[in-house]
Amino acid sequence: MNTTKISYKKPLLETPFHERTSEHCYSNDWYRWAGYKVAKEYSSTELEYTSMRNTAGVIDITPMHKYDIKGEDAKNFINKLITKDISNIQSNQVAYGIWCNEDGMVIDDGTIFCFNENHFRIFCAERNLNWFSDTGTGFNVTIEDISSSIAALAFQGPLSCKILNLLQVKNIENLKPFHFDSYKIEHHNVIISRTGFSGDLGYEIWCDPSQAIDVWDNLFKFNRDYKVLAAGMNALDMVRIEAGFIQPNADFMSAEQALRPNRMRNPYELGLGWLVNLDKEYFTGKQALIRHKEKGPEKKLVGLDVEGDKPAVGSVLYDNSKKNIAKEIGIVTAAMWSPVLKSNIAIGFVNKEYYKLGSNVYAEIYHPEELDYRKIWAECKVVKKQFFNNPRRNAIPAFI
Amino acid sequence: MKNFDVIIIGAGHNGLAAASYLSKKGKKVLVVEKNQNVGGLAEYSDSLNCVSPIIKKELNINVTNVDKTTHIVSLEDNQNHTVLEDNNGKLSFLKTNAEEEDQQKFLSIINNYKLFSKTLGSFMFQQPPRVKSGKKSDLFQLISMGWKIRKLGKKNMRELLRIIGLNIADDLEDNLSNNNLMGLLSHEAVLGTNLGPRSPGSILTLLYKQATNNNIFNLKKIEVAEYIKQLEDCCNKNMVEIIKSSEVKKILTQNNSVTGVQLTNGEVFESKYLMSNADPKTTYLNLLGAEILDTDFIRRVKNFRNKGNVAKLELVLENEININNIDKNMYGKFIYAPNIKYIEHAFNANKYNKYSDNPCLEFYVNQNTISANVYYVPYLLNSHHEENKIIKRCVSILSKFIPEMKIAKQELTTPNKMEEKFNIGGGHWHHGDLEIDQLLMMRPFYGSSQYSTPINGLYLCSAGTHPGGGLTGINGLNAAKKVIEELK
Repeated sequence: MNTTKISYKKPLLETPFHERTSEHCYSNDWYRWAGYKVAKEYSSTELEYTSMRNTAGVIDITPMHKYDIKGEDAKNFINKLITKDISNIQSNQVAYGIWCNEDGMVIDDGTIFCFNENHFRIFCAERNLNWFSDTGTGFNVTIEDISSSIAALAFQGPLSCKILNLLQVKNIENLKPFHFDSYKIEHHNVIISRTGFSGDLGYEIWCDPSQAIDVWDNLFKFNRDYKVLAAGMNALDMVRIEAGFIQPNADFMSAEQALRPNRMRNPYELGLGWLVNLDKEYFTGKQALIRHKEKGPEKKLVGLDVEGDKPAVGSVLYDNSKKNIAKEIGIVTAAMWSPVLKSNIAIGFVNKEYYKLGSNVYAEIYHPEELDYRKIWAECKVVKKQFFNNPRRNAIPAFI
Repeated sequence: MKNFDVIIIGAGHNGLAAASYLSKKGKKVLVVEKNQNVGGLAEYSDSLNCVSPIIKKELNINVTNVDKTTHIVSLEDNQNHTVLEDNNGKLSFLKTNAEEEDQQKFLSIINNYKLFSKTLGSFMFQQPPRVKSGKKSDLFQLISMGWKIRKLGKKNMRELLRIIGLNIADDLEDNLSNNNLMGLLSHEAVLGTNLGPRSPGSILTLLYKQATNNNIFNLKKIEVAEYIKQLEDCCNKNMVEIIKSSEVKKILTQNNSVTGVQLTNGEVFESKYLMSNADPKTTYLNLLGAEILDTDFIRRVKNFRNKGNVAKLELVLENEININNIDKNMYGKFIYAPNIKYIEHAFNANKYNKYSDNPCLEFYVNQNTISANVYYVPYLLNSHHEENKIIKRCVSILSKFIPEMKIAKQELTTPNKMEEKFNIGGGHWHHGDLEIDQLLMMRPFYGSSQYSTPINGLYLCSAGTHPGGGLTGINGLNAAKKVIEELK
């Protein structure tokens, strides 16, 4: 029987970097992302994390969804789609934005690259073609899913600029944060943007799939001195929690995918109110967001500094130090022990009364210990989500 | 630049009814009409015409019911036609080959449907309640709806709830054995809808039509031209300004509120209140523009089912028309939908955007003219109707019953032509299917019910709103009342 014709029996797709990633992937442990497989862990998550925090790590982010928006209304389209005003965006600039549905509930976030007035490109984690197409009704734009025609790497870490510099990528140190430009790595034309998920200096490299392997090899060229490592999804998750970046369907349910209406979240609840510009003439969800802002969030996503060293993964949050009279007031959505900060951090939702910075809440941590759980009642302090934010991230020229 | 209290787009009968009501309340009203004449699709409605008593009372309209036609003739290929007489709502058989038992059952089914449609009818002329609005009046109305249904009694309530989602073929086949009678009732259920006799919900459409028109067979009741003239007179008397042969290009808005309209000739009229008698899709996508509406809302607009499938055929013969096996004094509304299977087969083609080779017909005869509704002739998005082929098929069906046919003139108005002529997207009689998910508070769709829209000051008053198509005038009146409420 010819199994290739039966789509559900088809194995996950391999990214253009697969030849290399599979070599590096000692654990053969793959993560399913938008129909592709990418490494969860190559050999050791902690080591990969360490490379991103001390030298540089390379992450295959090819499965990111990429949409080209072209046409004379491209800018107006983006302005209707996202909550922020991008009227003043310049060519080669990158905007970070979120888009909401008519109830003001967040669907997804993404980075928006401006090539020129009539050409934008959106990168996001979830599929959005349907939403974009419907949003495009009445605009003179074409919306194309170009996900499979671009190979992408995140190159994150304090030495990332130095290595690109050693690779003769001209003037890369002067690329400003949230900007991109065309560069050459060896003789390959690539687009490099100073963006990323690590809260540190870092770049994202976009190239043609046919050049993928060459570009990958180049990044490891100086490994005798700098020890660049391929990093997997687990390590990426660690750095993004430290940087306080949130992820749809992990920290909140995308409004397009949530089945239960009360699981959807508005930007104010996610602490993304700064991305909403209610002065803008029109965007999807504006009327609802005006109401949400007036009312104020019932709960909010905050950072938590947790007592002890046991990560509060999936913990329920309570209001009282005494367990027997404590009331449930929230839930942890992501948690880890942060090696670089030497502290136990978490991101979670807390109710209205507790989202002021400095409030105290309590987490019930179930810590597995040799086939048994140790239940820990840990005090947590509400802090800013951005646990790790190195000045290197925004320095110009970048650290070489 | 002129300023008005309310501007109404489209002088269809609902637009005129709204204008009359508003002007009677002392408002300065402007009506913009694309065509040379007012009335719009009303001139078209041979088979949907019952002006609601509320309109007559509120606007002092004096159209009397003329019982022009009291006979219903269901034609059959073997020339054993059935003739029914409607005597002020009381039906009797004048001619049939159905057995006595079938006749009795047929009449009792109709009586049952009448009872149920009366229950539905009590909601018909009111503004439908909004679920979750939190208003007491809406809640009260919902409760009263439930109470009306409960008041039918246990047995009837059960029966209503049993059949309300059912297809008409099942219910008829359970009770009758005569094919012609089943075809006749199925025809009334599916004409003007995108349903076949075996589509779920086809009983509801029949009950609903009956409730709005107060008559199961939609017999011709009023002089439409007379009604439109009275509405226009009423407008003129109250100083409504009606601009004909002018098309609205764009509804102007600022900060989510209406500011006026711009015509195709560039002229601008200002008003804070605007009522659109254009169908919902045209209003939102063409006149207002999708770019200022939320994406979810656009999705609902696009998903509103408004594909018409009835064509109108006008035939003028050189000779006088004689129909086989029927006395002249029995002439009335002729129906050719001989059995359920025939209609369902015609519907099959419609599902795939094709017109059937064997369409169903409903027609009136006047000396040497025939005016017929032909279905299913679906609205085509990307191709054209072969009109001559459709006419030929209709003529060949008619020639089974009319021995002598020398055609002097023929004209077919397809849904596509209707769209062009009357500016109705999809060329649908009712501006949108009358199905359970597009009725009452769900008409035309969530977010736009109760005649309101997401844009402040913009209201809908077309057949695309509750209670749907027909000549009731209720859509316009209810919408106008809503505007008056807002103007206070």
